[in-house]
Amino acid sequence: MPQNDYQHEKRTIEDEEGFIKNPPSPFVELGISTCFSFLRGASDAVDLAVTANALGYDKLGCADLNTMAGVVRLHAEARKAQVTPVIGCRLQLVTGETFLAYPRNRAAYGRLCALLSKGKMQMTDGAWQAKGACDITLDDLASHSQDVQLIVIPNENIDHFSAGLPRLQRALPSMKYIAASYLYRGNDRARINHLDQIARANGLSILATNDVQYHAPERRPLQDVMTCILHKTTIHRAGFLLQANAERHLKSPAQMETLFAQWPHALRATREVADACHFDLRELSYEYPKETVPHGRTAQEHLEKQTWDGARWRYPEGVPTTVTATLHKELALIAKLDIAQYFLTIQNIVNFARYKCKPPILCQGRGSAANSAVCYVLGITAVDPATNDMLFERFISEERKEPPDIDVDFEHERREEVIQHIYDTYGRNRAALCATVIHYRPRMAVREVGKIMGLSEDITSALSKTIWGSWGREVGAREAKQAGLDLSDPLLARTIKIADQMIGMPRHLGQHVGGFILTESPLSHTVPIGNGAMPDRSFIEWDKDDIEELRILKVDVLALGMLTCIRKAFDLIKAYHGREVTLATIKQDDEAVYDMLCKGDSLGVFQVESRAQMNMLPRLKPREFYDLVIQVAIVRPGPIQGDMVHPYLRRRSGKEPEEYPSPAAPHDPDELKKVLHRTKGVPIFQEQAMKVAMVAAEFSPDEANQLRKAMATFRSRGTIGALEEKMVGRMIRRGYDPDFANRCFHQIKGFGDYGFPESHAASFAHLVYVSSWIKCHYPDVFCTALLNSQPMGFYAPAQIVRDAREHGVTVHPPDVNYSDWDNTLEPLSIGKSKSTFAVRLGLRQIDGMRQDMAHRIMQARHMPFTDLLDIKKRAHLDAGTIRKLAAADALRSMQLDRRQALWDARALQDAPDLPLFQDKPDEGGEVQFTLPQMPLCEHVVADYQTTRLSLKAHPMAFLRKSMTKQGYTTTKSLDHMRNGQRVKLAGIVLIRQRPGSAKGVCFITVEDELGVANLVIWPKMMEAFRKVIMNARVIDVTGIVQRADGVIHLVAHHLEDRSDALDRLSDDTIVTTLAHADEIKKALPSPPHGHPRDACVIPKSRDFH
Amino acid sequence: MERQGNSPADDIPLTLIVEGTHGPVIHATNRTARTMGVQIGARVVDMRAICPELQTEYADREGDKAALERLVLWARRWCPWTASDGADGLILDTTGSAHLFGGEDAMLIEMETQFSLLGLTSRLAIAPTQGAAWALARFGTVRSICTEGEIAQRLSPLSVSGLRLSAETVQLLHRLGLKTIGALMNVPRLSLARRFVKAALTANPLVRLDQALGKLAEPVASVEAKPRFSAQSRLPEPIFDPAPYLPQLCDNLCDALQNAGMGCRYLNLTVYRTDGDVSHIDVATAASTRDPVHLHSLFRDKLERINSGFGFDLITLTAGGVEAIQIVQTQLDGEAHSDLQLTQLLDRLTAKFGPRSVSYPVVYESHVPERAQRRISNFGAPPPQTAELIKERPIRLLDIPEEVHVLYAVPEGPPAQFIWRRKTHRVTRYAGPERIAPEWWKDRPGTRLRDYFKIEDQTGRRIWLYREGLHEDGRGGDPRWFIHGMFA
Repeated sequence: MPQNDYQHEKRTIEDEEGFIKNPPSPFVELGISTCFSFLRGASDAVDLAVTANALGYDKLGCADLNTMAGVVRLHAEARKAQVTPVIGCRLQLVTGETFLAYPRNRAAYGRLCALLSKGKMQMTDGAWQAKGACDITLDDLASHSQDVQLIVIPNENIDHFSAGLPRLQRALPSMKYIAASYLYRGNDRARINHLDQIARANGLSILATNDVQYHAPERRPLQDVMTCILHKTTIHRAGFLLQANAERHLKSPAQMETLFAQWPHALRATREVADACHFDLRELSYEYPKETVPHGRTAQEHLEKQTWDGARWRYPEGVPTTVTATLHKELALIAKLDIAQYFLTIQNIVNFARYKCKPPILCQGRGSAANSAVCYVLGITAVDPATNDMLFERFISEERKEPPDIDVDFEHERREEVIQHIYDTYGRNRAALCATVIHYRPRMAVREVGKIMGLSEDITSALSKTIWGSWGREVGAREAKQAGLDLSDPLLARTIKIADQMIGMPRHLGQHVGGFILTESPLSHTVPIGNGAMPDRSFIEWDKDDIEELRILKVDVLALGMLTCIRKAFDLIKAYHGREVTLATIKQDDEAVYDMLCKGDSLGVFQVESRAQMNMLPRLKPREFYDLVIQVAIVRPGPIQGDMVHPYLRRRSGKEPEEYPSPAAPHDPDELKKVLHRTKGVPIFQEQAMKVAMVAAEFSPDEANQLRKAMATFRSRGTIGALEEKMVGRMIRRGYDPDFANRCFHQIKGFGDYGFPESHAASFAHLVYVSSWIKCHYPDVFCTALLNSQPMGFYAPAQIVRDAREHGVTVHPPDVNYSDWDNTLEPLSIGKSKSTFAVRLGLRQIDGMRQDMAHRIMQARHMPFTDLLDIKKRAHLDAGTIRKLAAADALRSMQLDRRQALWDARALQDAPDLPLFQDKPDEGGEVQFTLPQMPLCEHVVADYQTTRLSLKAHPMAFLRKSMTKQGYTTTKSLDHMRNGQRVKLAGIVLIRQRPGSAKGVCFITVEDELGVANLVIWPKMMEAFRKVIMNARVIDVTGIVQRADGVIHLVAHHLEDRSDALDRLSDDTIVTTLAHADEIKKALPSPPHGHPRDACVIPKSRDFH
Repeated sequence: MERQGNSPADDIPLTLIVEGTHGPVIHATNRTARTMGVQIGARVVDMRAICPELQTEYADREGDKAALERLVLWARRWCPWTASDGADGLILDTTGSAHLFGGEDAMLIEMETQFSLLGLTSRLAIAPTQGAAWALARFGTVRSICTEGEIAQRLSPLSVSGLRLSAETVQLLHRLGLKTIGALMNVPRLSLARRFVKAALTANPLVRLDQALGKLAEPVASVEAKPRFSAQSRLPEPIFDPAPYLPQLCDNLCDALQNAGMGCRYLNLTVYRTDGDVSHIDVATAASTRDPVHLHSLFRDKLERINSGFGFDLITLTAGGVEAIQIVQTQLDGEAHSDLQLTQLLDRLTAKFGPRSVSYPVVYESHVPERAQRRISNFGAPPPQTAELIKERPIRLLDIPEEVHVLYAVPEGPPAQFIWRRKTHRVTRYAGPERIAPEWWKDRPGTRLRDYFKIEDQTGRRIWLYREGLHEDGRGGDPRWFIHGMFA
């Protein structure tokens, strides 16, 4: 899934063998802070678990500060390392008292979670708690402390502590121990003796702990650096904030016995506490909400009924036999795994969006769920199993031992409604979003550590720049050398070493994009729930890996802009064209739609609107739905880097025969053909790669799964080498050509994270088809819906409007007497256009226009507005809004052009006139004064400034006359140029891109008044003309025409920045709108790095004032 | 305003940056950067993409402001009335002073020359109103001079940007087709007034126009220069020793300070030799003072350092760091405060032995005992916030710890008996160990940790000693013991 690109590979114990369970140790460490006590612990679960086993522990506590976020990881790793985890946490009250809390059983654990949830969701006075904070009072703790073993941690001043102890004892009967540590602070013996006395006097016992912050003394530097980050200081100024020594590491039971030789009862106490904890995280049995099942029926029965009902609805002419068989098979597996309620829960959410919402919200399942026929007939997904070959095993399999994952897309503007519905239906204590653990990535780690170590900004940024791609686990020492950094410098070496340890440490908890957990019993008794940074959001403390580990299922509620657009389009089609269509009712065999796509005419269409996709369309020539599935999947970094595009195209056009290598004699010679014949022998989908491994190299499902995981995290070079040997070796043994075997593996490797699974591609292809269908048959509707769903997609409004006009749609400018807030359709009297409706741009296109003001206008418009005073009075607008409308030239229906309107609008005042001057302005009557006429080119410039598009003319049109004289061609005439012809051309820059898969080639799309042209800039040219490319708004290019398969490119040989020509149109700077996909703001020189989310955030315009 | 001095070569694209909301933005550029397409106000990361070799330097806006303030006073050489204007402008009222420099033309050339000697590029204009001069300096011809009657005529062709209006207002006027000041002047006054009557100053073209044309007065306050406290004596003929004149100079200076209610922190004595050479002596005080005797005493033994050559005929004494002081009488008998005597003593010691010789200790936050103290010699500065020691430390700490032989239970036992300075000490009580690990960010690798013990021997002596290293810590052989301090 593309969203997971930024996921960090989770560190885990790879080799589970080699750990032997230790006999019960005399001491159990209970005061452990893992790295999930953010910035207060410096070791992760893997290190702690492995060290604990090596030191001879049989049990290990886990007590993070006011959180359970790290317990699942410790649980998982400790079990692998043959250590029994003891789950608890460290509680700090608002008044400062600190306790270790260890629940005896499941119920006590539930109370502890409820306590933390309360602290994280409400402040002590009941107000909405801020994200990350946790307020617990003594009363809260007292009411949740039954069966929770509490160990109080004394503060520095023992006298204060002993004075406050009776109060704590009264409130907390389950508090039986006082923690005592021997930390080589000089007064340890005296202190422990003192605590022992106090404990005895109060009927308590002391309990030994080393208050562990890291697994080994070598981690002290990292701990110190983290302390500095916590206190926002540097290592040189931190002073007494740091520990004097490195004693707070995990010590062996034997060492602790030596230290506490005088107080053996302190050691015995730890054993007592640990042995009294019978709770195991695996007990968190998970139950789905019961509401989805009617009384008197089991979930499975209900699901089966729903399934067959759904099948009859999906196939009114009778359910195909293959589908019936598939459904039976799937239902049997679902029964076996007992997950029927999961399906019902998701169906419930989908049904809410579809039927209960007014107006309904469009939604569609994506991802591997589309492999399921049950999901199809339940209405969750939209890929028909009768016509598509599905791999149900990709979705659920017994061997995978992983819960299925159903992702559902909703309209992006209305997903919040679905989320709030889930909260309302199931309650905040039964439904919550997952967390996403944000880890320190290399750049961040280097920057933070460098700052703490006192390195200058220059050096840290040079250092962090040497890390190419931020996913690598290690800070590149070699690259640092290239950047001229002297790594033998001790300070630098130390910084890198610490940064290296810091990479992968959790930094804070974020909120998952849409992964929901729903339960029957209160969720807050299973895991603490906290508030999100966004209002009205709450999320649990575990991320999706943790949930997977505990076998808890989640449903992803995702947002998709195109669904918003399609729903708006459907509404418009119904309202204006009188035709009711839904996602399911559009037939997938419309010739006209495919004709349109074959021409590469796909601006605004879902997924296939990018430059690369547009260029692929005329080559691939999709003629049926499955071609679209391939089209969606093939223009991805995976297939491109695996070099699968050209073989597929050649085979498709018949230039190359389809061939399938065969294994040696005893094996089925057609085994690969069965896997790959649908894609002409070229693996394009993720499943196919897995299938090839399973068929040709006889990988077991388990091995194939390993391969899939290795593919996903291939960059970290974990197990991929071993798998390569295995796969290639086995293929050769089975009689495949070694060369082919190697190529095969490299193709699979190329997939990485960037291939689409077939089911996912099919779900997306469905949206591609639907959006193309709308664009093909209702271009006016398509343009309107697309504009109303902005911001989304690849292109800016200017390009969408231009494309619509090229398709014969009349577009009217925004006007107060005609426009709504949204863009609308209005009937066209003259039949000169293909469609009978014209698009009326809405007031939302005007920069800075407020929605409530637009609604006031719409409400007051029972009769046309005649002049400015009229609109101001009737619509209660403020002068500022009217000035904005005037500047956008939206008052023409009142016979006011932009200039006159602006002039008149200036005279309006917000404050009401005094009664005396009500009839006449106090300055006296208006003096007639004629402003000079506004030239058209200035109008165009002002249009761009206020609405980012102009319907009056294209800026390049004003330059055309002189350009023609100088021998410039237009983009239009490129169509008639022969291959290799040399041309001169100029246009406004729309998009600059340097895709990672294009080996440094830069693509620029330029636009003039007649069309667009695609420039190809080779890396050499890029270096020579970098300034022009980065800077120019109007680019002047000399180059060679290159055409193949109906795709025309202009290979640039010389480039020039002619933005000055644009400035001469008006004294003002024109704001040219770059498409959403422009990459200029990213540093072009290096391959794309950084957060993929950042990579697509490009400012919609570049303003130079 | 660009910094002078050690500026990099002209062909390096250099920019000054300031922190913006989304990372640093360009504040100023040099010509090379400008020609490479670097724009003021753009983000540095974006501009780096265009021009990877861009050099950046943080702008010192406070410094620029202070420099402009100084320039305001410096410009008093041409007229008595000067003021700053915005971040990069000066206003000079040259009425009546132009003839001193040979007329307005000559004065402008003189100004341009003087500014260029300071390393500053200037654009100058003279006009009857501030507004007109502002417009002409920025949009007019080089060294424009505009007389009373020709303001309207000279301003007409200039862009409306010359009226000191905000960017939005200029854009609005452009959209209205009123692109030049002349076009604006043609609009009926009433129409303009109606539209801009309530607008703020920078959004009000009418008021700005009136100001430029002199129809509306625009008063600007000039700043008052701080008085300089200085005393001098001119001598009829060269002498070789300034000492006899010094008490009188100090008296005069302190009188002046007294009258103004001020005290000073620095004194600068300058003697001008007959052969044109100049020598200086600077002294500083720990607290503001205007006590002539004390000030005079600070020069003792320093005057000899003056090389009098052929003698000198002018001595000046200038006060620096002038600030208001109030003499507070703290004791009824009118005796001076004892603190005052201390600061005066410090001044005298510092004057005599040099600033580095007199210092006092402060606590420094470090767990390593010998680093837990620093010495500060700058008495004038307010004492730094010192931390409290969190652990008890001995009264006397040995500069160099003395190694001793200790009997103790291997590996980590407390000391039982040791021989120090040829005497055997038996340990009767102990506390510890307090383990202090090396400061990993500072110490050499291989430095060993220390286990400190507080002990009391048979005679009741309390000693602080430590064991360096642990058995088998991989950092050298067996641990060694050292005495580091005494408690009593």
